[in-house]
Amino acid sequence: MPPAIRYDAHVSAGGAVPPAGSMTNPFRGDRQSAMEGERIFAAMNCDGCHGGGAVGWVGPSLVDGRWRYGGADGAVFQSIFYGRPRGMPAYGGVLSPGAIWKVVTYLQAQSIPKDVPTERWR
Amino acid sequence: MRPALITLLLLLVATLVADSGRPEQDDGQWTMPGKDFAATRYSGLTQITPANAARLRPQWSFSTGVLGGHEGQPLVVNNTMYVVTPFPNVLYAFDLTREGYPLKWKYRPDVNPTSVGIACCDAINRGAFYADGRIVYNLLDGHTVAVDAATGRELWKTQIADLGQGETTPMAPFVVKGKVIVGPSGGEFGIHGWVKALELATGRLAWTAYSEGPDADVLAHPATFRPFYDRGTDLALTSWPADAWQRAGVPVWGWLSYDPDLDLLYYGTGNAAPYNPEQRPGDNKWASSVLARRPEDGSLVWAYQFTPHENWDFDANAEMILADVTVKGRRRRVLVHFDKNGFAYTIDRATGEVLVAAPFTAVTWAKRIDLTTGRPVVDTAKLTGASRGNIKDICPSLEGGKSPVSAASYSPRTGLFYVSTNNLCMDYQATQVTRIAGTPYIGASTPYHAGPGGHMGAFIAWDASVGRRVWEIREPYPVWSGSVVTAGDVVFYGTLDGWFKAADARSGRVLWKFKVGSGVVGCPITYTGPDGRQYVAVYAGIGGDWFLLSGDVRSDDPADVRPRADFAPDLARHTSQGGIVWVFGLP
Repeated sequence: MPPAIRYDAHVSAGGAVPPAGSMTNPFRGDRQSAMEGERIFAAMNCDGCHGGGAVGWVGPSLVDGRWRYGGADGAVFQSIFYGRPRGMPAYGGVLSPGAIWKVVTYLQAQSIPKDVPTERWR
Repeated sequence: MRPALITLLLLLVATLVADSGRPEQDDGQWTMPGKDFAATRYSGLTQITPANAARLRPQWSFSTGVLGGHEGQPLVVNNTMYVVTPFPNVLYAFDLTREGYPLKWKYRPDVNPTSVGIACCDAINRGAFYADGRIVYNLLDGHTVAVDAATGRELWKTQIADLGQGETTPMAPFVVKGKVIVGPSGGEFGIHGWVKALELATGRLAWTAYSEGPDADVLAHPATFRPFYDRGTDLALTSWPADAWQRAGVPVWGWLSYDPDLDLLYYGTGNAAPYNPEQRPGDNKWASSVLARRPEDGSLVWAYQFTPHENWDFDANAEMILADVTVKGRRRRVLVHFDKNGFAYTIDRATGEVLVAAPFTAVTWAKRIDLTTGRPVVDTAKLTGASRGNIKDICPSLEGGKSPVSAASYSPRTGLFYVSTNNLCMDYQATQVTRIAGTPYIGASTPYHAGPGGHMGAFIAWDASVGRRVWEIREPYPVWSGSVVTAGDVVFYGTLDGWFKAADARSGRVLWKFKVGSGVVGCPITYTGPDGRQYVAVYAGIGGDWFLLSGDVRSDDPADVRPRADFAPDLARHTSQGGIVWVFGLP
C-alpha cells in the first residue's frame, strides 16, 4: 500500500500542516519509462477518456499543467491507483506500482503550452 | 344540446379512446419526448405564423443551476412544466398559472457521481415521459424513477443498468401499455446492449430483450420473427465471432415510437464495439439497426440493419418517425429515419421493407442502398480496420450526417420532415483494443474536417416519398438541436453558436432569431399557456459530444484547460457552457 500523501494546495486548519509521508517517482525524467508509460496509457484505455495525447476528452486534460487532485508525484500516483470521484477508475488492482509510475513519467514528460490561460480570436 | 346527451357523447368518446389505446390528442400539452407516439414533434397550434413570428420575444427564463449538455425537452402537463437537468438529474416542476412560473416542487435524486465519467459523452439527459400521473425518467447512474407529477414524491426507483460494466442511462424512457421502456448507453464501453420494460405501476422488471446474442436473449421467436431481408435463426449470434457479442455494445439510447394499429414499438440500436471492426468480423446484427417489438412481452417482430458490419461508428439510435406517405403512387404506412450513415430511409413499418433510401448529406462510404437486398453498396476503399491504416475522407463523420440526439420533426400539412444535419467528414485510424470492464473500449482515432462547401451544418426540409431535399438553411457549425413544426407552418430549431431560430416551414425563410446564451443541443417544444396563448420552450446549454470535441467551450474547471477544436477553432468565441430554460411567445 502506498503511504498517505499530503495535498500541498490544501489549506491547513490553524496553519498546522498534517503529518504525511511523501512519494517520489523513481523514474522521473527517464525516457524509456516515459515511452513504456505511453504504451500503458493506450493499453489501459486511458486515452479513451483523457484523449489521445491526454489533451482532455470526457476526462480532464492531463497536459495543461493543472491538476484537480494535485500534480505532485504521489498525488498523480494516487489518482491512478485508487481512482477519483466522477468516473476515474481505480487501476491499483490491475497495474503494478511500477507500471503506474511509468504512466506518471509519461504524463510528466509532456510539454505544457506556454499560454494556457489565454485564448484569443482575431 | 341537452346535458344528458353531452354526457353520453363524452362517455362514447372516452370509450373509443380507451379501446384504441391511443392517448388523447392535446396540442396544448407536451406529454412525451416526441410529442406523440409517432414521434412527429408536430403541434396543431396555429397562433404563431410566418406573418407574426418576427415579433416573438422572451417571456421567461430559468437557470437550471447545472452546466452541461441540455439535451432533450421539457414536458408541459396540466399547466405545469417539467424540466430534467443533466447530472445530477434534478427534476423541476414549474407552476405556469402564476407570474414568474414559481416552482411547485423540485426533486433531487441521489445519483452516483461516478456515472459522469462512465458516460461516454457528457453527463446529459434526454428528458422525461408523463403517464398516468407520473413523471418517469432515467438517472445517469443506471436507475429509472417515477415521481408523482402533482407532489414530486418518489413513487419507485429501479436499478436497470450496471456502471461497473460501462452502462449509463441518459435516454428518455418511453411508456406504452403500462410498460416503461428503457435502454443503456455504453457503445464505447463494450456493454451487452438491451432494452428493458418496467411496470409503470410498480417499477418491477417485466422483460429484457438483448440487442445481440442467441434468439432466446434477443426475444426473436421463430414463429413470430419475420425480418424482410434475412432468413435463419440466431442471426444476432452467428453474425459475430465466438463470444464477441457479449461485449459488442449495441446500446439503446435514442428515441422510441409506437404504432397502436400494428402494436409495434420501434427503436434504433447503436454501434458495434469496438470501433476497430477487425475485432468483430460478420454483419454484427442487430447493431446499427431498427427493431420492431411487441410492447407486452418484447418479442421481436422484424428488424432491419442499416449498416451491416458497421465500420464507422454509425449508430442508428435516431428517431423512427411514423407517417403515411405516398411512394410511387401508393399510400404507405412508413417510418422515416435519418441515420448517422448519411442516408434517409423510408421503410414500410409493418414489414421492414425499405421503400426509399437516399443520402441527405455528403456520403462517401457507400454509393447507394440496394433496395433488393436492403444492403448498402459500400466503397471498399472506405472500409476501416487496424491493419488498413488511416482511411481518409469518410463522409459523414461519426457525429453522423445527423446526430441521433437532434430529433427531427414532421408536418402532415407540408408533408415534409425537418432535419438538423452535419456536414462533417473524418479520417479513421482504427487500433487494436482490449476490453477492461469499466474503461472505454473504443480503438480508433477519427479527426474531423468540414464537408463539401465548408459549412459544417444545415437545417433541411426533406420529402421522404422520393428522398429529396426541398430546402436548406446552411449553418456555420453542425446543427445539433431537435426541431418542432406547427400547424402555423413555422419550424423552430437552435444552433451550436447559440441562436434559436424560427423558419417558414414551406420556404425555409428564417423569420426570427434570438441569442439564447449557450449553444442549443436540446429539442424545442410548443404548448398553450393557462392564458390561452401559444408558447415555445427550448433549453440552451451546449454539451454532449461538443463537450469533448470543443473542450474550450468549458470554463467551469480551472484544472482542465483544453485546446480549441482544429476543425471548429472559433466555436468557443460564440458560446460557452450554460443551462437555461427559455420560453418565447408573442407580445
